[in-house]
Amino acid sequence: MEAVVVDAGSKLLKAGFAAPDQDPALIIPTKMKRVLEDGEPADGSAVEEVMVDPVVRGFIRDWDAMEDLLHHVLYTNLGWEVGEEGQILFTDPLSTPKSVREQLVQLMFETFNVSGFYASEQAVLSLYAVGRISGCTVDIGHGKIDIAPVCEGAVQHIASKRFEIGGIDLTNLLAQKLHKSNPSVNFDISEVEKLKEQYACCAEDQTAFEEIQNSCPKEQHTLPDGQVITIERERYIIGEALFQPSILGLEEYGIVEQLVRIISSVSSENHRQLLENIVLCGGTTSMIGFEERFQKEANLCPSSVRPSLVKPPEYMPENLSKNSAWMGGAILAKVVFPQNQHITKADYDETGPSIVHKKCF
Amino acid sequence: MYGGDEVSAIVIDLGSHTCKAGYAGEDAPKAVFPSVVGSIDQVEANNDVKSEKESEPASDSKNGVKPLDSDKSKAKRKLYVGSQALGYRRDHMEVMSPIKDGVVVDWDVVDNIWDHAFRERLLIDPKEHPMLLAEPSCNTPQQRERAAELMFENYKVPALFLAKNAVLTSFASGRATSLVVDSGGGSTTVTAVHDGYVLQKAAAKSPIGGEFLTECMMKSLESKGIVLKPRYSFKRREMRPGEFQTIDLDFPNTTESYKLYSQRVIAGDIKECVCRVPDTAFDETAYANVPMTSYELPDGQTIEIGADRFKIPDVLFNPSLAQTIPGMESYADSAIPVRGLPQMVIESINKCDVDIRRELFSSILLAGGTASMQQLKERLEKELMEEAPQAARVKVLASGNAIERRFSVWIGGSILASLGSFQQMWFSKAEYEEHGVSYIQRKCP
Repeated sequence: MEAVVVDAGSKLLKAGFAAPDQDPALIIPTKMKRVLEDGEPADGSAVEEVMVDPVVRGFIRDWDAMEDLLHHVLYTNLGWEVGEEGQILFTDPLSTPKSVREQLVQLMFETFNVSGFYASEQAVLSLYAVGRISGCTVDIGHGKIDIAPVCEGAVQHIASKRFEIGGIDLTNLLAQKLHKSNPSVNFDISEVEKLKEQYACCAEDQTAFEEIQNSCPKEQHTLPDGQVITIERERYIIGEALFQPSILGLEEYGIVEQLVRIISSVSSENHRQLLENIVLCGGTTSMIGFEERFQKEANLCPSSVRPSLVKPPEYMPENLSKNSAWMGGAILAKVVFPQNQHITKADYDETGPSIVHKKCF
Repeated sequence: MYGGDEVSAIVIDLGSHTCKAGYAGEDAPKAVFPSVVGSIDQVEANNDVKSEKESEPASDSKNGVKPLDSDKSKAKRKLYVGSQALGYRRDHMEVMSPIKDGVVVDWDVVDNIWDHAFRERLLIDPKEHPMLLAEPSCNTPQQRERAAELMFENYKVPALFLAKNAVLTSFASGRATSLVVDSGGGSTTVTAVHDGYVLQKAAAKSPIGGEFLTECMMKSLESKGIVLKPRYSFKRREMRPGEFQTIDLDFPNTTESYKLYSQRVIAGDIKECVCRVPDTAFDETAYANVPMTSYELPDGQTIEIGADRFKIPDVLFNPSLAQTIPGMESYADSAIPVRGLPQMVIESINKCDVDIRRELFSSILLAGGTASMQQLKERLEKELMEEAPQAARVKVLASGNAIERRFSVWIGGSILASLGSFQQMWFSKAEYEEHGVSYIQRKCP
């Protein structure tokens, strides 16, 4: 049986059997609803449904919820049978604390009784997905942005940076702006999320953005509950926020500037390799016009530090940037498990959770 | 006694230029960031507090013993730690360092630096990890007690140990006896370590370190008319496809210290890329015709550097050379007659017992960021062989990997804290509460 690869993101959980040139079999939201076990609520009022997010800003925070989610994914959807669990590969975001990794290993071996486990960093996996072992990944996800230079398969932790902003902050920004321009309409956050995915785009460059601020085509959109809203310049503000974080109220430089600074802090012999292999991944990078804007801003940098994006191989499916960590994981799973480099149950029983730091890097 | 087998210790090395922090047992620190912080006074019009800060570098080092003043300024300033926060230009942000001459003067800033390392870079809870702190070899007892107090009271760490930099470097190379030449950002120290203990009387210190060399580089470039534009002060725009223009941006509220800091970052990078230690003592005439290396500045300007490539590193060996750089003449006046590196090594060895001198000569370790300059090892070996007594066999050891040289103190700490036999040596919280902070002098030699 093939190994299972799981990429638990802040918004979507990608899972499936390791088949490198296909999309993950299962892409489901990680958000869950907690339903009370007992049938009768105490005072007869409606059952309050609490939304639970097991993964916050990339890290697993709610372990019970995660357990339930994984149970559903592994047994119900992917068809594992109790007693015959297979091997599993997880992806870790940057700067995962040691304790989180250990807890994950513990959960997998003790609760799920897997036969083999491996964990790898998302940055390295995204590079594997495009066929490289060195380069710099810019992972703009729902809960966080990770910029990580990787040299020969090893993440340069000293130079890499993690930002606590992501798609969720852009959604909030959009909600704010829409509320201002359509004050009579009530927005539901999940609706705003869908609007963001449908309408958000990036202006060509900064001057174009400023022009749009002055005049922009209006669009009408009908919400599911019948209300009609107009969207005009808000769409561009969302894309612009990544290149000018002051829009989000943050005191930071834009994505390209940060990338150039990070690469400059790595020792100079690796600069060329890193600059020529920039990989954009994460859901937010599939915004219309993002890649073009990124390339344009990159061209403004002096030629010795000019980033250039990598072209994904032709045999990879279309949505590579959204699922690149999962696909890289699938590629890695095909290598690691057959060669017995993973953590087996015997290893875990002998050493305990701390083996994850020794065997998986 | 603290016996922690499962939990991993954290190793912190707060240097004058960068702070290194990470988990014990790993081969490189996870968090490396500058140990200067940006500070903005909340009340801008408060000229008293501001002028007090500006006069700080000129006055003698205050050991934070002025509680009144530091409390007043503590309430009113916001600190920005880390290269991300420092990299962003803010109005009125001053850049200040908590360490002067290797000694900590501003404990509030150190507190913030540690907090940043734990909560934002390593993402850990200090309550659960024993801490190993690296301290300068000439640290005073008051400083150690202050550090211990801060750690136990503010961070509630379960256990602590203070180890001297030189001893850690020695461990990193697997030796118990060696002469450690630690050339870091703020200063260069030569310390003799014997059987894991520092020989205090044989320590030699010089204020010439990486930052001094960066200063030389800056002044030298200035005298040639090259202006280092800090990263924030310009913007590139595409006028026509393929043609770019650099536009200067003016930010009148940027402080002088921030501008200098940004320029130093660029000059430091130039120094790291192009500088090499010359094989023999630097001679103006001999190097006048050396081929130039080009370097591209962030704003697109390309500069050529020729003789300076060799002149500036030679300052380590011949400090009086610094006076020949225009703009650096004032350094002649700073009282202490400064010796070059080989002289410091000989001086240090001569202060030790005759019996161990031979062993020290044959295990001279290089550590620190400045020590990872190219050709430093060969040059030092050559100079020492000339000056050392005939019978001695001189061997300078330096790890081939530049990263290992730069972080050798941290790596030594990582090795020490993960040794099984070390676990009983921790100064635990229970011992701190029972015996008080001065017990640390006994526990951490």
